Amino acid sequence: MHPFRQSRHDASRRRLLRGLTLACAGLGLAGLAMPGFANEPWQRLEAAQSVLGESTPSTEGLTLDLPHVSEDGSAVPLTVSFDGELAEGDYIERIDLFANGNPYPEVATFRLTQLSAKPEISTRVRLNETQQVIAIATSHQGERFATSREVRITVSGCLMRNGNDANDALSNPRVSVPSGLSAGEPAEVRTLINHPMETGLREGDDGETLPRHIVERFSVSIDGDVVFEADLHQAVSANPYLRFFLTPVESGEAEFTWQDDTGETARHVAELELS
Amino acid sequence: MTQHSQRSGINRRQLIKGLGAASLLPLVGGVTPFAIGGQHAGKVVVVGGGFGGATAAKYLKRANPAIEVILVEPAETFYTCPFSNLHLGGLRSMDEIAHGYDELQDRYGVRVIHARAEDVDAAAHKVTLSTGSELDYDRLLLSPGIDIRWNALEGYDEAAAEKAPHAWKAGSQTEKLRAQLEAMEDGGTFVMVAPENPFRCPPGPYERASLVANYLAQYKPKSKVLILDAKDNFSKQGLFMEGWEQLYGDRIEWVGLSNDGRVTRVDAERLEVETEFGTVHKADVLNVIPPQKAGWIAERAGVTDDSGWVPVKPETFESQQVEDIYVIGDATVAAPMPKSGFCANAQAKVVAAAIAASLESRPAPEAYWTNTCYSLVGPEYGISVAGVYRVVDGAIAEVEGSGGVSPTGAPSATRALEAQYAVGWYNAICQDTWGTQT
Repeated sequence: MHPFRQSRHDASRRRLLRGLTLACAGLGLAGLAMPGFANEPWQRLEAAQSVLGESTPSTEGLTLDLPHVSEDGSAVPLTVSFDGELAEGDYIERIDLFANGNPYPEVATFRLTQLSAKPEISTRVRLNETQQVIAIATSHQGERFATSREVRITVSGCLMRNGNDANDALSNPRVSVPSGLSAGEPAEVRTLINHPMETGLREGDDGETLPRHIVERFSVSIDGDVVFEADLHQAVSANPYLRFFLTPVESGEAEFTWQDDTGETARHVAELELS
Repeated sequence: MTQHSQRSGINRRQLIKGLGAASLLPLVGGVTPFAIGGQHAGKVVVVGGGFGGATAAKYLKRANPAIEVILVEPAETFYTCPFSNLHLGGLRSMDEIAHGYDELQDRYGVRVIHARAEDVDAAAHKVTLSTGSELDYDRLLLSPGIDIRWNALEGYDEAAAEKAPHAWKAGSQTEKLRAQLEAMEDGGTFVMVAPENPFRCPPGPYERASLVANYLAQYKPKSKVLILDAKDNFSKQGLFMEGWEQLYGDRIEWVGLSNDGRVTRVDAERLEVETEFGTVHKADVLNVIPPQKAGWIAERAGVTDDSGWVPVKPETFESQQVEDIYVIGDATVAAPMPKSGFCANAQAKVVAAAIAASLESRPAPEAYWTNTCYSLVGPEYGISVAGVYRVVDGAIAEVEGSGGVSPTGAPSATRALEAQYAVGWYNAICQDTWGTQT
């Protein structure tokens, strides 16, 4: 069973996209004689190209950690991290995730600041089929990094699923912040909220396509200043989970906000107490 | 098949093999691993005497009795994980899930060595045993099952497993957990920690919760079962939940990943577990089913990858990483085939045919596998999932339209029949694997 159930319209859209991708790949092969025209997965994905622009990303330093084989495409654990070289004072400002075999390739965009600058983020994603997952990181000074990883999706024979009956609204925001923070030391933060993340591609019991209904935006601010943001797409699993790092420099109040596409929001406040 | 026809079968096979080897001579010269004429049909060492290894040893002998087959298994008595949940629930004695190796030795001529395989030298084609002796092989077949990833879950090490048993390898761990359950006061909570995928026997934790609840309902009616799960979906989920509601009301509580069910720390001394978002649950009996990996001899043989499991060539189950080593059962990456005893048994027959063919320099026959997992929600309430698998585009795939799960909303007579089928299945597969019946 696929985590996305496509309507016919989307299937044809996808065929069109596939056709385009194939055409591009064909061009890539034709252009093999050109130096530097490597056939990297991010070069074959329009959405990824729009983040990269004209630049050729470095392939060193950025790591995607996903299982080679996943038995449950509806929630594949993913960690993206960066430990490459950057100029003095530079930091990773943005990380984009794509899944090139999904009906919509965009997965998430994370925006980091110096107060969330340890670039290591985990979430759980939906992968429709065996495919390449792509990450692109952009530094404050405009350095770009890219990596990809193939994940094979196969539903275990013992894992026949029944429909999820998740709550229809934002509920149960959960946040875990370590106690005993030290100034300038990255602290691991985990967040989870209940939400169906309805893709808009799935049919309900009545055969009608269920409207898209997702958490679009997650943000963290400390004393009113935004320090971490995430734009989420349909490919983020139901009940979005995010793990990331905050690096506070002084004690303060952290506010975590989730907003879905109906405008509904949920908030959670945690005190950051530095020792 | 009678002894006589078996023997004439051998002769015919030996003749064909002789011809095969002779015809290969111009190509490979003297490097064929056996002498012409079939005097040495090949030597296969099988490590692990569970559903995979014991079945493979037997079927290798059935494929060609001239193959020298040595089975290495430390235990003289093998306790099956399937039906060990019945022991936990007080429905079966340990003797009724115990099997031995007499038939393999006496009827099939397998040499059984009760020792632990400690190391593999793949280049030299040698296995070192805990007795210090070495076995050389033409083909090595590992069916090592699983090992626990100690400390992958904070606080869960070998010492913790004495207080909070995993009981995910049947035997003393099963008995320990059963004893704790029997000693528990009425009104206590049985807490089970369930792992994320992949792990041995996907429906196993939920069958266990069911049969523990069945025991509690009869003997400790104020007690509860709490499952803390690192997953949001589990095997036969809808069927289990339907059965739980019918048989046990709200006695079983399941908390999935998205409701903070993932346990991140175990305190076995205090019988406490802490979840990802800081909820502490206190248990009276604590059963931790921890993260797992391939049995460690697979690591020694160099066949595991960074996932801790063994990637195999799907057509033959030969290791993708080391030549002449084949691996089957729970240790392998065989999804969508689940890590089940049934699959190990099915893979064993395919691998026996593949090894026998490779020893004769024949191509392996085309592979098909089947799987059926029965689970007992209650002593008279069975459910099942089945599948048929083959290789498609170089990967194992479920044959479309094959298999399926028990219907939801079925009458109790259907569930009672499936419970009988479960017992029939157990008897049949044990008969096939060890030649024993309980």
